[in-house]
Amino acid sequence: MSVSAKEVAHVAALAELAVSEAELPALTAQLNRIVGFVAQLAELGEPGAAEPYVAGPEAARLRADEVRPAALARPPAAIAPEFVDGFFVVPKLGGMEQP
Amino acid sequence: MSAAEVARATCARLAVADSRGLNATLAWSDAALLAEAARVDALPPGGALREVPIALKDNIVTTEQPTTCGSRILEGYVSPFNATVVERLRAAGALIACKANLDEFAMGSSTEHSAYGRVRHPLALDRVPGGSSGGSAALVAADVVPAAIGSETGGSVRQPASFCGVVGVKPSYGRVSRYGLVAFGSSLDCVSVLGKTVAEAERVLAVIAGLDPRDATTVDLPPLVPEPAPLSLAGVTIGLPREYFPADLHPGVRAACDLAVARLRDLGARIVEVSLPHSKYAVPTYYIIAPAEAAANLARYDGARYGARATVDGDVRALYRATRGQGFGPEVRRRILVGTYVLSAGYYDAYYGRAQAARSRIADDFRRAFASGVDLLFTPTTPTPAFKAGEKTGDPVAMYLADIFVCPVNLAGLPALSLPLARSEGLPVGGQLIARHFEEARMLALAATLERHLDPAAEARP
Amino acid sequence: MTWETVIGLEVHVQLGTRSKMFCGCSTAFGEPPNTNVCPVCLGLPGALPVPNGQAIRLAVRGALALGSAVQERSVFSRKNYFYPDLPKGYQISQFDRPLATGGRLGIESPDRGPIEVTIERLHVEEDAGKSLHDRVPGRTAVDLNRAGVPLAEIVSGPDLRSPAEARAYLTALRQILVYAEVSECSMEKGSLRVDANISLRRPDAAGLGTKTEIKNLNSFANVERALDAERARQRALLESGGRVEQVTLLFNAATGQVRPIRSKEESHDYRYFPDPDLPPLVLSREWIEEVRAELPELPAARRARLAARYALPAYDAAVLTSERAIADYFEAVVQTGTEPKAAANWILGEVMTGYNDAGRFAVPPARLAALIALVRDGTVSHQAAKKVYVEMAASEGDPRETAERLGLLQVRDEGALEVWAEEVLAAHPREVERYQAGEAKLLAFLTGQVMKRSRGQADPKAVQPVLLRKLQGA
Repeated sequence: MSVSAKEVAHVAALAELAVSEAELPALTAQLNRIVGFVAQLAELGEPGAAEPYVAGPEAARLRADEVRPAALARPPAAIAPEFVDGFFVVPKLGGMEQP
Repeated sequence: MSAAEVARATCARLAVADSRGLNATLAWSDAALLAEAARVDALPPGGALREVPIALKDNIVTTEQPTTCGSRILEGYVSPFNATVVERLRAAGALIACKANLDEFAMGSSTEHSAYGRVRHPLALDRVPGGSSGGSAALVAADVVPAAIGSETGGSVRQPASFCGVVGVKPSYGRVSRYGLVAFGSSLDCVSVLGKTVAEAERVLAVIAGLDPRDATTVDLPPLVPEPAPLSLAGVTIGLPREYFPADLHPGVRAACDLAVARLRDLGARIVEVSLPHSKYAVPTYYIIAPAEAAANLARYDGARYGARATVDGDVRALYRATRGQGFGPEVRRRILVGTYVLSAGYYDAYYGRAQAARSRIADDFRRAFASGVDLLFTPTTPTPAFKAGEKTGDPVAMYLADIFVCPVNLAGLPALSLPLARSEGLPVGGQLIARHFEEARMLALAATLERHLDPAAEARP
Repeated sequence: MTWETVIGLEVHVQLGTRSKMFCGCSTAFGEPPNTNVCPVCLGLPGALPVPNGQAIRLAVRGALALGSAVQERSVFSRKNYFYPDLPKGYQISQFDRPLATGGRLGIESPDRGPIEVTIERLHVEEDAGKSLHDRVPGRTAVDLNRAGVPLAEIVSGPDLRSPAEARAYLTALRQILVYAEVSECSMEKGSLRVDANISLRRPDAAGLGTKTEIKNLNSFANVERALDAERARQRALLESGGRVEQVTLLFNAATGQVRPIRSKEESHDYRYFPDPDLPPLVLSREWIEEVRAELPELPAARRARLAARYALPAYDAAVLTSERAIADYFEAVVQTGTEPKAAANWILGEVMTGYNDAGRFAVPPARLAALIALVRDGTVSHQAAKKVYVEMAASEGDPRETAERLGLLQVRDEGALEVWAEEVLAAHPREVERYQAGEAKLLAFLTGQVMKRSRGQADPKAVQPVLLRKLQGA
């Protein structure tokens, strides 16, 4: 399987990552190198319906329903690049539609 | 010595390390260290790590100093909360000495992928210290701190420990809280410890280990209590997985391992050969699972709520793309793209599905080996000693293969450590011990026994 | 040309917990922006989710109420997309291993009578925050108080055949979830949200037509309106020989129109994968049965029982069971020995009017029962009792004292009645003459005059015998 420059651009868009036209060929080559390398897993045959391997606890531990927010040493306003009247602020949505 | 004296001495050593150009630290200050000392002095007497200065890999959040993860995208970011590990270290009386340099978001095997410059190997400045916890390893190797906190996703503590000639201990997945460890590959990430000696590393691990209600993947187990190192290894079976001793293994590494195996045998251990046939798939498996998880874990760095934000004159999507495009370095970008690709529509089964299946087989191999009566596995930690800076940056896959012996352990979630065995042409060579799930205490005790019978400063001649 | 409409609904309800799905922040509604936030729901580097057990319990309760099979093992997955109010860049949801699968909800279709709607799945997930477009000029403002609030998503099968039926399904679904105390289901507070899928096909078609999805439906009435509009749009398209495109639409309540926001090609690639921060959700059979045992009697069962046990008309039983509190109130009244139909009439009348206005029962069941008893034994007239009820609701008084204070007790004292009867007969000699000449209907007129003279206080049943005696004796 090889990854085309068009696919790299598509994946970059999915990941909201700016990739310039100039860097696309080199990036495509690198991705092909990596994807080509990991594709050797095909040697192991079809995976079937593999459950994810769970390295930690077998089952989720559930929390009691108590209002105990973890403290913030500094408020959102202190970490946000733009914060107005209690709100985080970003540019307008433009073409981005709600999911 | 008082805590303040410890703090001042640590500052002096940090200054020396900086002046040597190790570039192992990202943040430290006299004021911060003296504040740490004052805090320790105010604690009630006792504390397992009282007045022990400890370096923290800069992907572990602290409220006093920035946590950058070696990335431009978190430049200047100061966390509003502390990692559980930090709280535990402090409660035990430790001083947080500094934030240590690392590969950006812990993605790398050489600490050349830090946005704040590469870390130099303390014994050979033109070489890499390994990675991604290269800063932590270099600081311990350079005697700046007796121990440091690192993190592993695919060997990022054992591999630099091996390169730098120090001890690196990766606990079982679930043994130490990840709360406050900035996520890379969450199913693999493990807060881990570097120490000058096995005992030093163990002392720190015992403090940070344990259930954390804020991390659903920690395991509820009795506390990790260090066991005394036995005088002999009689009755202990050590397995040598044949796949970890390939024909093209670096001769110096092979010689050091031969020497260690001879010592193990001398100590009374039974040495058996075992097979872990799927370990050869560990690196490709890892380079699907870790990037997939990373692509999601790093989606939050979008310039909206914290961290760096690109200046754009456009809509929110333009902001995201510019912030992320400028904020992430080349290796992180590659992994985000690979991770997004392997999860995208039409490719999931071919990559992620296969990787999950392979991961189970890799883990099954270990289970079988241990079920056959093996107590510990012994392998080289790395295929070669520390390589030269720039040697592998041109080919990502070549860099990935530096972790070929360490990353199977992360996929299986097992505890393992690297300890210095000997030197090859002046460079440290590490050996790896791997144990069953949650058998850290026994592994550390047996490692301490071996440690006593090694001379890591001596040259191992092939 | 005739077309069959096929509708399926995806309903999100907020699970009624105090704290969020994966952190200890409050779920309180209407707080100042970004105050119910912590490292976890802000998606700060290093923060980790820990699931809220009560959210799981409520979701299981909802699933069991809908007859769904609760899975002993389910998996949290990450749904990846970028949006300003999604702090982590992914939503923790469930995908290929949901909490519950299958199930059905019996509803009364306005078109087809009783039908069963399939429930395909129920899963738990976290809510996103809120993006506001009018707070900061030319910018998007984000409030993350809602981010991480626990939700259950309930997906119906494509079993609904009209917009009105979709509305009936929603009403029944809300009723059952409120009964089981799974969710408050308030659309105003955003604790119930609906996305609708609709397609048209020929009645004899085997497969389904191309569907469209309508989002942003903020009331049951708007669900029906939006589906009506979209059905008309699709029908016009098909009848003019066109094809329906698979699109996502947004309903504008002001114009009553739907507009496309994205096509199938532009649809999101969510890249779901199991969330490595959360081990599988494992529930034991015993625990699931324990939750089942907590379930109250559900609306359909209670409706049937009330109708049968108290011999009530279907309509009465339906209204009485529309809310659990009303049915409880009814049964509390009946328990005092009150005649069920009388209790039902009172509740369907005065009581419901007050309840709908105030959202609570102003008169305790025992007092309503006492009032009904006063009517029954003639102490208070039915008309007067309504006035007494209103006063009781306002002043929380005892029915007899209230009636007395208002002077609404019926007078049955023979002496008083005789005085009024004599006064009336004396005032209407002509009518008395005509009655005695055989015009029997004048008795009613004379009774009315007595009632008038008593200013309504005389018991009409007691007045007639007194009048008759006087007329005979006169």
